[in-house]
Amino acid sequence: MNALEIRNLTKNYDGFKLDNLNLTLPCGCIMGLIGENGAGKSTTIKLILDMINRDGGTITIMGKDNRENILLTKQDIGVVLDEVGIPECLTAKQVGKIMKSTFENWDDAVFDSYLKRLSIAPNKAFKEFSRGMKMKLGIAVALSHNPKLLILDEATSGLDPVVRDEVVEMFSEFTRDETHSVLISSHIVSDLEKICDYIAFLHKGKLLLCEEKDILLEQYGLLQCSEKELSELDSEAVKGKKISPYGVQALVLRDKVPANMNVIPVSIEELFIFMVKESV
Amino acid sequence: MKGLMLKDLYMSAKYCRAFLIIVFVFLAVSFFGDENVFFIIYPTMIASIIPVTLISYDERDKWNQYSGTLPYSKAQIVSSKYITGLLFGGSVFILSVLAAAVRMTLKNSFSWDALLMTAVFLLALGVIGPTLLLPFVFKFGAEKGRIAFYVMVGLLCSVGAVLAGIGFNVGLPSDSISLSVIIILASVLLYALSWRLSILFYQKREL
Repeated sequence: MNALEIRNLTKNYDGFKLDNLNLTLPCGCIMGLIGENGAGKSTTIKLILDMINRDGGTITIMGKDNRENILLTKQDIGVVLDEVGIPECLTAKQVGKIMKSTFENWDDAVFDSYLKRLSIAPNKAFKEFSRGMKMKLGIAVALSHNPKLLILDEATSGLDPVVRDEVVEMFSEFTRDETHSVLISSHIVSDLEKICDYIAFLHKGKLLLCEEKDILLEQYGLLQCSEKELSELDSEAVKGKKISPYGVQALVLRDKVPANMNVIPVSIEELFIFMVKESV
Repeated sequence: MKGLMLKDLYMSAKYCRAFLIIVFVFLAVSFFGDENVFFIIYPTMIASIIPVTLISYDERDKWNQYSGTLPYSKAQIVSSKYITGLLFGGSVFILSVLAAAVRMTLKNSFSWDALLMTAVFLLALGVIGPTLLLPFVFKFGAEKGRIAFYVMVGLLCSVGAVLAGIGFNVGLPSDSISLSVIIILASVLLYALSWRLSILFYQKREL
């Protein structure tokens, strides 16, 4: 079963359109939704959670339409938003009590263990926490009601590298259970590159690609060559290029480039930048 | 909805302490001091609009977005505020009426008619704030909602002044029982209508 299936999802705003989005997140996998600010990542997440009305398309969460008893579905979803959203005057202990009355499967023992593991003071007001601590509490809440799907909207942005690494490791741990899945959006591509099984690129409301990360890394490569060498290549092989006084760096499809050319591995970040520039 | 109520109670305990102190000071003044209507009605009026203050904090803290990710419907989110208003407004209303009863008894001026009219007057004033304000707040947000509310109150006052100017009379009954029944029914009906309208507005609002 797929944790998430999005078909032809469309949402219109003044000056922005999320255009016919199609995504599939299989159970047990982590999908990274990558896009620049304003690409449509948060809109997609709000549509998945039925927080805003869509103008077209369908969304299925764990086999059920997301408008069909969404409250029951949300019992199995843990969400962390960019701004977390926990009231500033509340302590972690109070948040635990509120969530115990919110989620049927809330587990106090799991929540307490996350508070200890993440060194979150239980009686300190949320407003006194650093951004990293706030995010950690949001993540502890999202993980303490036995969710099957985690949805994280820019949950790692603004965190220092040590906290980011810790948090990313927790998401990875979560998907060791093959019924668990994660959809994580970010514009910090390096975080997603570490943990994601699937990568989706969003740019100006359009999906540029959605593919398994390993396949992407196998299919694409970077070629450093001269402009003349590049012009001799099959035009379908070249997916993006950067011309500088020192030569050309091109994003290429490895199997369409002669074997004698030196194609080096491309990172997901480089792949994204090349594709966004090419689509402009 | 229990979680939402619990959250509002925690927030009220933190942010509305000053309100509650004012409520008790005013009640004490109305009890021991001169017969000043302001000190009698003010506690109920401010207690009943505590939900509006809580919504402002919710918006500042982005709770309004976060609550959209939790297993609560928009109707439950709206209802929790109306119930919080009833809890605070209702408690202070009861305290105010009790204080008025004791005061009348101590001054040997107790009469059921006078107590009933005081209670009805308090009820109407306690209900009018949240009834008019909350739908605007749920439609436009706390800040814009307040502005829309003031504009509407201004318009209503202007219409009232014009109607009074042309000698319009709604013809309310003069006996206290009939008048009280009408005001109680109107208050309950308006609060219920406001509740329903807020749910409709909030369901259409995109967070």
